[in-house]
Amino acid sequence: MDFQWSYEIPRTVEFIRSRGFSRVALQFPDELLKDSTRVARALRHELGKGVRLYVMADTAYGSCCVDEVGASHVDAECVVHYGHACMSPTSTLPALFIFGKAFINVNACAESLLQCLSVSNKPVLVLYGLEYAHALQDLKSVMSKLLSSRGSNQMLYYSEVAHSSINPSGYHIKDIKLPESHEDAITDGEIIKNGESEVSNKLESGTKYSLGGLTWTTQSEHKMEDHLLFWIGSDNSAFANMVLTFNSCEIVRYDAKEGKLLNDFSQQTRILKRRYFLVEKAKDANIVGIIVGTLGVAGYLHIIQQMKELIEKAGKKCYTIVMGRPNPAKLANFPECDVFVYVSCAQTALLDSKEFLAPVITPFEAVLAFSRGRQWTGEYIMEFQNLMASDATEIVDDNEGARFSFLKGCYVEDHQPQENNGDQKEMPLALAEMTEKALNVRNQCTDSVLFKGTARSGAEYLAARSYQGLNMQYENAPLQSYVVGRTGRASGYDDEIE
Amino acid sequence: MVKFTVEELRRIMDLKHNIRNMSVIAHVDHGKSTLTDSLVAAAGIIAQEVAGDVRMTDTRQDEAERGITIKSTGISLYYEMTEESLKNYKGERNGNEYLINLIDSPGHVDFSSEVTAALRITDGALVVVDCVEGVCVQTETVLRQALGERIRPVLTVNKMDRCFLELQVEGEEAYQTFSRVIENANVIMATYEDPLLGDVQVYPEKGTVAFSAGLHGWAFTLTNFAKMYASKFGVDENKMMERLWGENYFDPATKKWTTKSTGSSTCKRGFVQFCYEPIKQIINTCMNDQKDKLWPMLQKLGVTMKADEKDLIGKALMKRVMQTWLPASNALLEMMIFHLPSPSKAQKYRVENLYEGPLDDMYANAIRNCDPDGPLMLYVSKMIPASDKGRFFAFGRVFAGKVSTGLKVRIMGPNYIPGQKKDLYVKSVQRTVIWMGKKQESVEDVPCGNTVAMVGLDQYITKNATLTNEKEVDAHPIRAMKFSVSPVVRVAVQCKVASDLPKLVEGLKRLAKSDPMVVCTMEESGEHIVAGAGELHLEICLKDLQEDFMGGAEIIVSDPVVSFRETVLEKSCRTVMSKSPNKHNRLYMEARPMEEGLAEAIDDGRIGPRDDPKVRSKILSEEFGWDKDLAKKIWCFGPETTGPNMVVDMCKGVQYLNEIKDSVVAGFQWASKEGALAEENMRGICFEVCDVVLHADAIHRGGGQVIPTARRVIYASQLTAKPRLLEPVYLVEIQAPEQALGGIYGVLNQKRGHVFEEMQRPGTPLYNIKAYLPVIESFGFSSTLRAATSGQAFPQCVFDHWDMMSSDPLEAGSQAGQLVADIRKRKGLKEQMTPLSEFEDKL
Repeated sequence: MDFQWSYEIPRTVEFIRSRGFSRVALQFPDELLKDSTRVARALRHELGKGVRLYVMADTAYGSCCVDEVGASHVDAECVVHYGHACMSPTSTLPALFIFGKAFINVNACAESLLQCLSVSNKPVLVLYGLEYAHALQDLKSVMSKLLSSRGSNQMLYYSEVAHSSINPSGYHIKDIKLPESHEDAITDGEIIKNGESEVSNKLESGTKYSLGGLTWTTQSEHKMEDHLLFWIGSDNSAFANMVLTFNSCEIVRYDAKEGKLLNDFSQQTRILKRRYFLVEKAKDANIVGIIVGTLGVAGYLHIIQQMKELIEKAGKKCYTIVMGRPNPAKLANFPECDVFVYVSCAQTALLDSKEFLAPVITPFEAVLAFSRGRQWTGEYIMEFQNLMASDATEIVDDNEGARFSFLKGCYVEDHQPQENNGDQKEMPLALAEMTEKALNVRNQCTDSVLFKGTARSGAEYLAARSYQGLNMQYENAPLQSYVVGRTGRASGYDDEIE
Repeated sequence: MVKFTVEELRRIMDLKHNIRNMSVIAHVDHGKSTLTDSLVAAAGIIAQEVAGDVRMTDTRQDEAERGITIKSTGISLYYEMTEESLKNYKGERNGNEYLINLIDSPGHVDFSSEVTAALRITDGALVVVDCVEGVCVQTETVLRQALGERIRPVLTVNKMDRCFLELQVEGEEAYQTFSRVIENANVIMATYEDPLLGDVQVYPEKGTVAFSAGLHGWAFTLTNFAKMYASKFGVDENKMMERLWGENYFDPATKKWTTKSTGSSTCKRGFVQFCYEPIKQIINTCMNDQKDKLWPMLQKLGVTMKADEKDLIGKALMKRVMQTWLPASNALLEMMIFHLPSPSKAQKYRVENLYEGPLDDMYANAIRNCDPDGPLMLYVSKMIPASDKGRFFAFGRVFAGKVSTGLKVRIMGPNYIPGQKKDLYVKSVQRTVIWMGKKQESVEDVPCGNTVAMVGLDQYITKNATLTNEKEVDAHPIRAMKFSVSPVVRVAVQCKVASDLPKLVEGLKRLAKSDPMVVCTMEESGEHIVAGAGELHLEICLKDLQEDFMGGAEIIVSDPVVSFRETVLEKSCRTVMSKSPNKHNRLYMEARPMEEGLAEAIDDGRIGPRDDPKVRSKILSEEFGWDKDLAKKIWCFGPETTGPNMVVDMCKGVQYLNEIKDSVVAGFQWASKEGALAEENMRGICFEVCDVVLHADAIHRGGGQVIPTARRVIYASQLTAKPRLLEPVYLVEIQAPEQALGGIYGVLNQKRGHVFEEMQRPGTPLYNIKAYLPVIESFGFSSTLRAATSGQAFPQCVFDHWDMMSSDPLEAGSQAGQLVADIRKRKGLKEQMTPLSEFEDKL
């Protein structure tokens, strides 16, 4: 494939030149890193000496997000992001996205689309992976030809790539303007628009949607559920994100690599059910770990703060952990956490593997789990901008009575948040209570604290552990004789190789 | 026409010696509810004429339709004794009025939990036994439960009418049948020798056995007849009683009593001569409409009929005559009042069973003395759905003090630990209510010794709780109930319309509250599971769920889901090793099956994590042949830290081993909950940690490295030790006549069941069959059996044990392999099991 075309060198050059950037960071995911030198060389050739280019290795967080921290190490003024992108808004740096161009047989695709149209009487909405965005014009023209030849007047909509660059544009949470929309609409505010976005778009044309870099509008008489979604692309995180967000829609997927139409998504509905289970599980948790999985997506600090408040209000303890790309081994280092809330961009947020010791849930799921009286209604919010906006309405607080735990199959009592004020006022009583606690017989069996999640703080957990860390004996430490260690590699030390 | 008012009832509640709390227990279809009806009739709540047909205590529509009792129902009865009839009563009493709080309980084994809840709040039990079928499985089970709760039983031999009408049994034969029934019951009771409770066996000659015909509303105890004949013969009533039972014969020709049959045709047993024959005679005359003979006979007995009743004929006449002559309520209520303990008497010895705290504190004393002025001690045994949707009455018994409308109470839930704030609420009672059959009446307060229903606490009480006064902070709760059945039959439910999910969730919550036994949980895959004690129980629960708790929203119910267990057959064929993600740590392990009986011992709690290590090692070494030192090296039990699997440390001289113990245990808890075959719980596997290689640097051997590795090595050792599936097996008891046996054997064979005991019930044409039946085959078993035996066989299934399936689940296409594949599919796992190579590492 043409290298210049695929990596959109001219457009990149144009972008950098027009804005007069002099320090540019190029961000490649691992699988494209092999092309990085060629891209850098081509760009330098075009741009000349005035512009410094830095190739960044893959980020510690999701490679679909813009690595702003990495870029600021080289004091870059903008980031050019290659490969699959989640198009999450950035907080400080402008970014240009080069999606790459994957091969697609447009005619075969159009054929499948037509087939869909013929079996379904719903309006069809075409969505696609960003790597197939380049083929949209071709597809449109082929389709219009085919449709006109058949005289079909079925409704067919296409989503558009909203923009391929992002400006941080002075993002403030207070500026979020909620567009008026009907209840089910997953709308974004004005946050990710480039300023030049045509607001007039949504005047009479219904509701505007945006998801993972795609935007589309629906006719006002149709809700999203009334559409048949036609997805072009592979079964990746962008697709999963879309399925979860529009879980009540009928969805078919055209796999461009295989050239096949797939419409069995029992696996996807299974995921939804599984997430529902994880929410229930989270409700029983006492200690929650907040994993910060992004340092770039706009609003992450706000959402972390919101999570902390939410968890505290639910009478649970939380710990914040910064961790790029969580894996079972990393998370198992925090066995005291009963559940983790993973704050990251929409497309990396879904971590579900049975390998994890404790479930990992998204901020949206955390809101469901930790606000009393809130029920899951089927809607699903992945991007936390939407979450912040939707959460503005306060939930009725019914902190009374026991809560039913579906995991234990019985009613359990939630711990009430500590009422510090009350305690301080009644000093004599408080003292009595303190001593009462001091004289309590220590639970001799620590098993339930360690393995059944009854610990209420990390300290309590540690106290129950049979091993609590190294006990440094500074005084009178017995002298140890010098021992020769092992040599060789960990996969098989020298003395082990026969 | 209610003969008594709430005010009257409330007044007697204060007379603690004049109260009897009792439950009616029996095998299914032995006539509990029908008998209860005749008692209710006596209290004037329903008309005498319809007694036996209404089934007052079957308040639910489905109960009436199916003709079985599903929920235990309480009813308060007022009864006034005559001074004369009480002259022989030796115990304490205040006046002649009595209050009987009666709880009718279901007889089907699936609803045993209702019986348990009923027994907790009563002091006495009326055991109803069908005179033909005799003591059945469920009679035995509930009787044992009652005695375990220190509840004094009295017996009634029911369905006497069958003897006279259906079977036309002769006197001596009938006597033998009755005496065998009583003997069978006594055999069970005799095993519960209890110095505090005294002799709990029942004797007709002492008046603790009644003979009744619930359907026709008549009953008698020997006391009735003794009274009648005592004056006639001019002997003492007690002496007469003794003569009416056992080896006492009377020959009207010689007018002499003997202790042996003289062989003369006129010489008959006292019981036959004076009780059975007269009744038979009356019934026969009635049935044959020989009214000219009847009236003089009745006059002799002192029975007067109303004018309009004299026009009745046949069965109706017989029923009316018998009801007037030997009213069931008189005989039974007298028996209860005379022989069942009052709360003040019963609580003296029951306090030991009831109270968890020290038996000399003020709360124990208040319970012991049934002190209405003491601190409130109230046990809520069940929640009853109220007529307004979504609300529940908390139903229970006041053991001490008084509960009143508006009183602030301390609610101690099942997880409450004295001195802590967990599971504890302080709330006020909105209303106190007493139950009178289908009606509820509000009362100002209810003193100790009575049953009560309360409004306004349902949000804070889950299934049961102990209530006390707000200020009684040092009170301990009343001991939780122990159920005899467990919820083994599970189905997945989901709503037809996705948007009904909140309704389903809410409905499940309410269902869980309304039934003491049902368990509503969730699978890892996100499916809602409802578990019940049996097929029938589950059917009723799902019906309630859909109709009452979800407002009729449609639900989809899956086929019953049976949970299996994973175990191993042999010791691992080799020591397996897994490396940590960083490759610096290695765990070596082997799995082996536990000794026979050990898993059960852990289940029963004889061996567990909280044991004294010395006691544990004693049991392990003496009963299971363990090495004494090894027994001390058990790291943990699992899953849930108490399950029937364990990890034993077999390492010698490993450095830092104590550091990774918690991590290995965490991995084990996880792995034993989700075995390698189909993510079912493990059972009966002992994992031995053989060796451990750890990185010298603590940072590289943390939980993150060790927990996943421990899990992997446990799976690897399970897979190398010939893994097997365990399936749950029911113990089935079937009672049927001989001609139905062929059909029973046929159905059992077809369902992989096997009979291990077949016994003819002495003196009856009935056979008792005991068999084992895999739970998975049991669905639809009852109906198939009924079809195959034309309705003559009725099975009762109770979970008994886990049985190993002989086929190898690792072998594709085997029966176990197919099961594993099905389970994995249902759970949404990869259809192929993860191969051993994923878990085991090579050097």
